[in-house]
Amino acid sequence: MQLDNRTRDNLWTLISTPAVWGVHFLFCYFVAAYVCAPNTRIFEPIGGVRVAIALATLPALAFCAFAGIRATREWRAFRGDLPFDAPTAEDRERFLEFSTMLLAALSFVAIVFTALPALLVQDCR
Amino acid sequence: MRIALADPPMTAILALTRVPGFTGPIEEGQSSGMAGGPIRQGGQHRVSRGTSCSVRLGRSFKASPPLLLATLVLISGCRGPQSTFADAGLEASSVAALFWWMLGGAVLIWFFVIGLSVYATKAHPGAHSDKTGLRLIIWGGCVFPTVVLTILLVFGLQMMPDFRAPANGPRIAISGERFWWRVFYDSPAEPGVARSLPHEGIESANEIWLPVGRRTELLLGSPDVIHSFWVPAIAGKTDTIPGRINRLVVEPTREGLYNGVCAEFCGTAHAQMAFRVRVVSQEDYETYVAAQGQPAAVLDHPGLDAFLANGCGACHTVRGTEADGRVGPDLTHVASRETIGAGILAMNEANLARFISSTEHVKPGVQMPSFGVLPDEEIAAIAAWLGSLQ
Amino acid sequence: MSQAANAPDVPPASTRDQEDPKVREEQEERLRKVWASPPGWRYWSDTNNTTVGVWYTATSFAFMLFAGVLALMVRTQLSVPENDFLTADLYNQAYTLHGTVMMFLFAVPIFEAVSIILLPQLLGARDLPFPRLSAFGFWCFLIGGIFVCGSIFFGQAPTSGWFMYPPLTTQERFTPGYGADIWLLGLSFIEVASIAAAVELIVGVLKCRPPGMRLNLMPLYAWYILVVATMILFAFPPLIAGDILFELERLFNWPFFDPERGGDPLLWQHLFWIFGHPEVYIIFLPSIALLAMIIPTFAQRPILGYSWIVLAAVGTGFISFGLWVHHMYTTGLPTISLGFFSAASEAVAIPTGVQIFVFLATCLTGRIIYSVPMLFISGALAIFVLGGLTGVMVAIVPFDWQVHDTYFIVAHLHYVIIGGVLFPLVAGLYYYWPILSDRRLSDRLGKIAFWLMIVGFNVGFFPMHYSGMIGMPRRIWTYPANLGLELPNLISTVGAFIFAAGILIIVFDVLRPRGKEPLAKRNIWNAGTLEWVADVPGEDWGIRSVPIVSSRYPIWDQPNFIDDIDKGRFYMPDAEEMKRETMVTSVLDAQPLQCLRGPGPSFVPMCAAFFLGASFIAATFHYWTAMFAALLFCVVTIIHWLWNATSVIPEKEEKDVGRGLSLPIYIAGPHSVSWWAMFITMLGDATAFVGLVFGYIYFFTIHTDFPPPDADGPGLLWPLVSLAFFAASWLLTLVSHRLLRRGRVSAARLLMAAGAATSVAAAAALLWGPWVTDLQPTVHVYPATVWLLAIWTAIHALVGTVMLGYCLARSLAGKLTPKYDIDLANVALYWHFAAGTGLVTVAVIALFPLAN
Repeated sequence: MQLDNRTRDNLWTLISTPAVWGVHFLFCYFVAAYVCAPNTRIFEPIGGVRVAIALATLPALAFCAFAGIRATREWRAFRGDLPFDAPTAEDRERFLEFSTMLLAALSFVAIVFTALPALLVQDCR
Repeated sequence: MRIALADPPMTAILALTRVPGFTGPIEEGQSSGMAGGPIRQGGQHRVSRGTSCSVRLGRSFKASPPLLLATLVLISGCRGPQSTFADAGLEASSVAALFWWMLGGAVLIWFFVIGLSVYATKAHPGAHSDKTGLRLIIWGGCVFPTVVLTILLVFGLQMMPDFRAPANGPRIAISGERFWWRVFYDSPAEPGVARSLPHEGIESANEIWLPVGRRTELLLGSPDVIHSFWVPAIAGKTDTIPGRINRLVVEPTREGLYNGVCAEFCGTAHAQMAFRVRVVSQEDYETYVAAQGQPAAVLDHPGLDAFLANGCGACHTVRGTEADGRVGPDLTHVASRETIGAGILAMNEANLARFISSTEHVKPGVQMPSFGVLPDEEIAAIAAWLGSLQ
Repeated sequence: MSQAANAPDVPPASTRDQEDPKVREEQEERLRKVWASPPGWRYWSDTNNTTVGVWYTATSFAFMLFAGVLALMVRTQLSVPENDFLTADLYNQAYTLHGTVMMFLFAVPIFEAVSIILLPQLLGARDLPFPRLSAFGFWCFLIGGIFVCGSIFFGQAPTSGWFMYPPLTTQERFTPGYGADIWLLGLSFIEVASIAAAVELIVGVLKCRPPGMRLNLMPLYAWYILVVATMILFAFPPLIAGDILFELERLFNWPFFDPERGGDPLLWQHLFWIFGHPEVYIIFLPSIALLAMIIPTFAQRPILGYSWIVLAAVGTGFISFGLWVHHMYTTGLPTISLGFFSAASEAVAIPTGVQIFVFLATCLTGRIIYSVPMLFISGALAIFVLGGLTGVMVAIVPFDWQVHDTYFIVAHLHYVIIGGVLFPLVAGLYYYWPILSDRRLSDRLGKIAFWLMIVGFNVGFFPMHYSGMIGMPRRIWTYPANLGLELPNLISTVGAFIFAAGILIIVFDVLRPRGKEPLAKRNIWNAGTLEWVADVPGEDWGIRSVPIVSSRYPIWDQPNFIDDIDKGRFYMPDAEEMKRETMVTSVLDAQPLQCLRGPGPSFVPMCAAFFLGASFIAATFHYWTAMFAALLFCVVTIIHWLWNATSVIPEKEEKDVGRGLSLPIYIAGPHSVSWWAMFITMLGDATAFVGLVFGYIYFFTIHTDFPPPDADGPGLLWPLVSLAFFAASWLLTLVSHRLLRRGRVSAARLLMAAGAATSVAAAAALLWGPWVTDLQPTVHVYPATVWLLAIWTAIHALVGTVMLGYCLARSLAGKLTPKYDIDLANVALYWHFAAGTGLVTVAVIALFPLAN
């Protein structure tokens, strides 16, 4: 079966979406810490931080959606049949795609969760 | 924005009731004391049993006296002066309500999962296809938790800014020190990092008065190690950290006397680093703070001479006398407090004498040396004098 | 070599007739001899994974029993108010050691220990890739553990909790004596062992699978091990970074945590919990992995939702690194920061829930067979689910503000850990015991133990939820009467003793003599995974021949599988040259790559661990000369070990491993296990370095002006000179490697020597910078941080020097040649990381202040 136009999945592509979650998380943490950590002027609105987090969240979500949809399309295209346990490179690929999809979904939810505080908290208090 | 919590479902499930007759956590003049080591206290009041049961587990228990007794004893603490259910502060009450909601949900989920696992071991093989199993994973393992957790997270997040909203009451600085609490009323402190609490304002120790219905700002710091300031009946805890001034806003809703403790391990005497919080009306609060600002009431007493002669003034301040030590608690109005030794002994002359003579025994790890070598008369005189410092 | 020369000339495996019993007997005899443990006192020099794994497991169980006794002391003290069974000081030692020992000497090591036994079995491998490293890790663990535990008998145990918050712990005036130093140095030493095991296990999972075991066929245990070992690699180094800051403050008064000189006690909490929270999952996931192995066996079907488990393991592995501040909710951090961590703490519950439902779905669609392991698993589930639910509750910040540091948390964490770690481990003990000791544990005793444990546990810990809610803080040695705490505490104590009785029954069951009992049947539970191929009674060789795997449950799915293995019809049925050998395969699809020769028994790892331990112990008591002497001996021992037992040039290039397949014996570069080990180790090293840089950035965020405007930095000139030397060393190493491969040996040697020289210069120039600007590390946290980064990086340059010198010596001794170049290939890899470290350090200490 031809795999030429398709992504070759491996352990690195598998962990790409949670890695994006990690980068997004650290970014949010550092941006907020940079402004709020000194703990003075706690009632000043932190619009800049919230916008920065929103701007980081959108591409992070887009990447997870992209990775998830790509993986879904590929394992579906090959009549992907759970539980992917045939001893072939094909099924290994299907398995990695399916797991990538699941991780992309989890990372998507986790990124939304991480962005929620920026939505609900308006200052450094 | 605040989502108000209606009466929780657990109220219905557990038939939550308040015992009639219960008015305050501890009645006036009582104290729940604590002695270190093997010494049992004489003359200490017991907490009124009026603090008992607020949760009844249903009629079936009433049939069985031992069970009922056990239940009563077990839950006697639930509205005690140190309980998070005491319902004496806005934050504590909202969190208690949140707790009942979460507990209700947790009980339902736990029974569902355990029921399912019991069923899974009994189910006839072949009764359920792999497809059913996968559906169970998707709905039970993914979708349901995601929905519940999202709701819970949003709810928890939007609670926090309100708890930390600006205050409209007095500002009190509290310094956690090994192993007691220094208090300044009308403090000019501001929260922040890389700063320490200014020693300004009207000084007291180990007892904090709060006006009811006002949002009071507590500024928390420490000169030595990390402690944590916790009055379960009123609000959650906040650490006192050297080099930082943390801010905690409390809004007491019910007058009374409550227990506070140190919640972060801070050394040998950590367990005995308690304090009292008295919630009073605004007028009483103002009268009290004004009184605390006055010099000591009794300045002519043999106990004062003994106090100064034995060097107590090197560590303790008694305003109006030569004693101006900054190490230990300010004793200017020590007799006005409910307790001595940082919330561990009821305030009376006998306990004062005991604390002076066998300090290390009553409170192992305490920074004050025992003065047991002094003649009994001198100790008695000092205790009598301190006991008169209203 | 001498052994091989003495061995009779055995024809290649492919030419032998495996159906001939005589051939098989000869092969078995050779295998048995090669893999046998040495006799007599030399037994302790063994490095075989089964032997070392059993020592490791037994030792960590012994530490658990010790910590359990401490817990009973704690419970006895708390049984009534104002008790005087223990003094305050002894109580504090007991609870501190209880937490420390359970976490560092039981929960983490037991996973490594069990994996060292099980992983090769699961992967059909003869051994792990670095058996001597396992042995080294074990001896480090034993020495460090005895040192830490022993301290309580001298009244010198640490007293400040297993989290050791400064400034309580960093300043002699608060914690005089050696307790804090014993904790720090003893555990740093054990952390080294943990990281060693992590390297071993990651390489084991990725490179030592049997042919055909593609990623989608890996046993779930291996997936979990891969995730957990990687987590160790990223979680422990920040703690090591924290330990370094801590010990520098405690011993040399560098003010990292002292607010009066710009430090901040919270930095320790960050570094500790960046380790501490993943650590909870590091101990929890391997136990869940045991469930993922046991449940399919007793449901008599493959796991339903294999991919979902992989999702859960990998997802948890990542998200668990975003939870650390939920141990710090009460430190007054800004609401928005707390929010991020609350969000991650809730998110991590999703993959955890997925795992539970995968198990439920597997049970639901299978035919459950009741057994003692399943009994413990059901108990684990009931307890863990409750702990997980309270975990979701405490992840909500306002609720945690109330219950943080109360007995509610004590209850929560014990529900999670005993339900999520101990019960699955006991289930695993009953399940795997027949493989370990050829006989079964008693079903009757197992059931009694189970009921005692589950009743005792719930009686003991359930009331603690209540004690916490009514105001009982943690870590108190006494509490007053009249608060309603008497009865719940008394009940808890009674429960704790019932629970302990259950544990004692298991100990009895394990230790009781059972000479007359019949041997267990082979594959007694009718399981489908490879570890059950083991014969009864077991053999030391691990597996008779390395099988070709084409299923997740080969024993169930592959016809005649066990017989084919037994008859040696698969690969490597023989030890022709009398060497310990195992197969190395590729990462994704497990295609055979190499016949890896492992070293045999040796006392060298034990000696290295002994000297390393001696240096840590000497440092604890400030015996600096002894410390440096021990460290020197340690380095010499390790070089001796490497020189004689690694990258040995084989007598032939390829070896026939049977079935017409020939594999190289020596490979270098990214296909070799040692390259992976170096890569993984350096990832851990880089993480520790990032931990130190985090400190610098952290001070930058909390101070409005950092570096302080009046402070002199290390200047620009010398750091940049150092950077140039770093770049030179890096280039020289790479070019030297390339030249060597092209056969230009003399030129390569010249460049190695030049690289060694420039790396010394790099180190010197880097240290010279802060030296000439007279930075005083005890004055303020800024100079201290600069010095620390400079010293860390300079040490890396010097290690690079030693490595290049080592390669030069190997080349001169004829052990490093154009064809056999593992040493230089790995050193080149090291230099990528070292040069990166140099670049970041110079950027942070010299360039960053300019941007301000």
